[in-house]
Amino acid sequence: MRVYPVSWITSVARQRVSMLMRLLMTAACLAVEPVSAALLDEPIQPIPLTLKQDPARVEIGRLLFRDPRLSSDGRISCASCHDIGKGGGDGRDHSIGLNGKLTDVNAPTVFNAALNFKQFWNGRADSLEDQVDHVLQSPVEMGSKWDEIIQKISKDPKYKAAFSTSYKDGVTKANIQNAIATFERTLITPNSRFDKYLRGDEKAISAVEKAGYARFKQYGCVACHQGVNVGGNMFQKFGIMGDYFEKRGNPTQADLGRFLVTKIESDKHVFKVPSLRNVALTAPYFHDASAKTLEEAVDVMFRYQLGRVASKEDKESIVRFLHTLTGELEGRP
Amino acid sequence: MKWFTQLNRWLVAATTIVLMSVLVFLYTKTLHRGEADYFENVALLRHLKQLDAQWELDVLKSKIGINTHYDPLANSLTEMSRLLDDLEVDFQTQTHDEAAALVQGSAQLRQVIQEKSTLIERFKSNNAVLRNSLVFLPTAAEDVGQSMGAADPNLPAASRQVLGSINKLLLASMLFSQTASDERGAEIQAGMRQLESERPSLSPEQREKVDVFSAHVRTILREQKGVNELLSRIAAVPTAERIDTVNNALSAEQQRVSVQGQKYRSYLLAFSAVLIVLFLYMAVRLVRSHTVINRVNRQLQSANEHLEQRVQARTLELRQAQSELMTTARQAGMAEIATNVLHNVGNVLNSVNVSAGVVTSRMRASKVQGLTRATDLMNEHKEDLGVFLTTDAKGKMLPGYLIQLAEVLVAEQQGVIDELGALSKSVDHIKEIIATQQAYAGTSSVTEPVQIQALVEDALRMNVGSLTRHQVAVEKTYAPVPELLLDKARILQILVNLISNAKQAMDSVVDREHRLMLNVDVTQERNLRVRVADNGVGIAPENLTRVFAHGFTTRQGGHGFGLHSAVVAAREMGGSLVAESAGLGAGATFTLELPLPESR
Repeated sequence: MRVYPVSWITSVARQRVSMLMRLLMTAACLAVEPVSAALLDEPIQPIPLTLKQDPARVEIGRLLFRDPRLSSDGRISCASCHDIGKGGGDGRDHSIGLNGKLTDVNAPTVFNAALNFKQFWNGRADSLEDQVDHVLQSPVEMGSKWDEIIQKISKDPKYKAAFSTSYKDGVTKANIQNAIATFERTLITPNSRFDKYLRGDEKAISAVEKAGYARFKQYGCVACHQGVNVGGNMFQKFGIMGDYFEKRGNPTQADLGRFLVTKIESDKHVFKVPSLRNVALTAPYFHDASAKTLEEAVDVMFRYQLGRVASKEDKESIVRFLHTLTGELEGRP
Repeated sequence: MKWFTQLNRWLVAATTIVLMSVLVFLYTKTLHRGEADYFENVALLRHLKQLDAQWELDVLKSKIGINTHYDPLANSLTEMSRLLDDLEVDFQTQTHDEAAALVQGSAQLRQVIQEKSTLIERFKSNNAVLRNSLVFLPTAAEDVGQSMGAADPNLPAASRQVLGSINKLLLASMLFSQTASDERGAEIQAGMRQLESERPSLSPEQREKVDVFSAHVRTILREQKGVNELLSRIAAVPTAERIDTVNNALSAEQQRVSVQGQKYRSYLLAFSAVLIVLFLYMAVRLVRSHTVINRVNRQLQSANEHLEQRVQARTLELRQAQSELMTTARQAGMAEIATNVLHNVGNVLNSVNVSAGVVTSRMRASKVQGLTRATDLMNEHKEDLGVFLTTDAKGKMLPGYLIQLAEVLVAEQQGVIDELGALSKSVDHIKEIIATQQAYAGTSSVTEPVQIQALVEDALRMNVGSLTRHQVAVEKTYAPVPELLLDKARILQILVNLISNAKQAMDSVVDREHRLMLNVDVTQERNLRVRVADNGVGIAPENLTRVFAHGFTTRQGGHGFGLHSAVVAAREMGGSLVAESAGLGAGATFTLELPLPESR
């Protein structure tokens, strides 16, 4: 008992020391920055090679991800709309949910979803676990009830055994959510050519692609599409420099975006800035799947988000740069 | 007394247990329960506060563009939420005196963090747009200039004016981004209106560029205000205060626990003092009892020494007494021997007496008177002796009478001589008995080579007078026994006694012939065995051992000494003397067994 205060003091001391160290290191980094660093100090940061997860839980999550029993009609699994082979989405404008119902928005890729600060276009889920909860119960998507799911999963001896070895309390709602989320946390795509460039491999991307990246920064795309996930860490109003929805027409409920979550007037048409990782694989684009190609998407962005016009060449080079963001899944391109 | 000790022991044990429990109870009370937990939570809150400060710092960095991306802002929230979760789990699972206040505090904290995060989200959105416009604005101004041919020295006055307005607006916007005062805002508004008024003079291409520029100026005007407002709101969110509230609640709780611990510590101190007093008392008691024990020990030791002296004295006394006793015993033995001797002498004197009586009666009835009368007759007729002898009637019978008388006197003389021989033999026996006693009185045992048969014969001889008087037939059976080293006097004494006893046992028997059987042989156990058997009155079974006791006798005028001295003598020589009898009237056998000395 007497040991604790001492250990606390040391931990505090350690904290102080580590704080000091951090400060010193930041100072050192600041000093060294302009010269050269192994990691380029860019608004975009490379994806970590792994987000270490419990392998047994990952395996349970992998099975659940592909298991159509999670849906009420036993036909739809997570993988139905998030095809690992198709860039983590389904390539459709709107996914087909329960009984052929179409989802309100385009299915975002599951790849690197773990790196998003919130889930869904309108950011209504704070975590992957929470996201699972939303999708499983959504009447348009899987339309299940938790007690039914738990019952179905518990009946399967394979699941039952796997859960009881990996989780203290066996098959529960939280554990099913956690298993799927854990699996999803392995679906990150490191080692894109651009990441290699960021890690110091000058030859990883071509001169044109480098020029594209320069345009990307110059035109202000990087104001929102930054960080590890090249986006996915903030909300932004769709049409900040022009009324996109007026131009598009056919306003829908889903177009209200974050307003549906917060009911704040200023959150109307506000969406999570999507990640541009693997963007070449995840057409169509935007929540309404209105852009079928990258070029179209870049165009819309320039007009309504940046409020400026860019030359065709610049747009093309930006698209070339965006292609370098395609990474590897579990070591495969 | 035993139950009392038992009770005492139980009492001591119970008291010890009670004292121990009190001690343990007080000790556990002094331990700060949840102290570790408290420090953990405080550290957690501190970390939370740090993260919060870091968060605000990151917001400012993003505002001025040091942070090139917004990941730190998103990550801070994730980390803070995690810490908050930990804190809430702790508040709900650990025991807390102020659980309600803590849970409420953490809920409020979560709420303000949520609030702050919402503000920061909006800040991110606005700031991204603002910074984009700020970065782009000079380019946009340049674009406008290029489209109007700013480098052209022959620029029309209208265009020049537009360019001037653009530049003014650019400067005002830049300044506005530094200090967003209302004045500057108004200045920008005025500039915009000016630009608007100049707009119709421009070509469509130029107009488009100017529109882009003015859109961004408007954006800056709008977003800068928004961002500034958001920043002040973010700064005003009382996260630190909420953290402090929780911290204070924790501290108050800890304070109370600590005060309580202090209280119990003082109890513990008092209790310890009591225990020490008790301990001292015990120690004093112990020392005192130790002293007592020492004293008693010393006393015991001296008593012990004294006792030893006394024992020594007593031993000495005892030894003296024993030696006296031994002397007495020896003297008693000698007296016994004397008695024995006298007894035997008495026996022999009997014979002497008888012999003397016989001689006396013989002499009294002697025919010597007849000789006197014959000599008197001859004296009367001394002158006419011849005549007388031949004529006188009386004288004629005198010679014949003398002849007869002579014969009678010769016979008489012979009887007296015989009797006197027996008498002198008896006197010899007496002499021998006395010599035996003298031998005993001198050395305890004198062994000499003896032929046992000769010894038996001697014993018989000593008793021969009475044996013949009582018409006892003696039967002797002697096995060949070598000459042995034996205490002749003692064995003789024993044998004399046994023979005498046997004879006496047969005195009163009248219905049968008196027989005395003497038997000498060597037993299988290499013991010399002498048996003296008679067919006299016998011994009652209950008396078979008592016959050897001192003073036991069945005879009128007996001393009860003979057999006793015999058995004592037998034992002294390492042998045994036992009596056997089939009962009263069945005779008795006395067996003397002596160990044979190792053959030389």
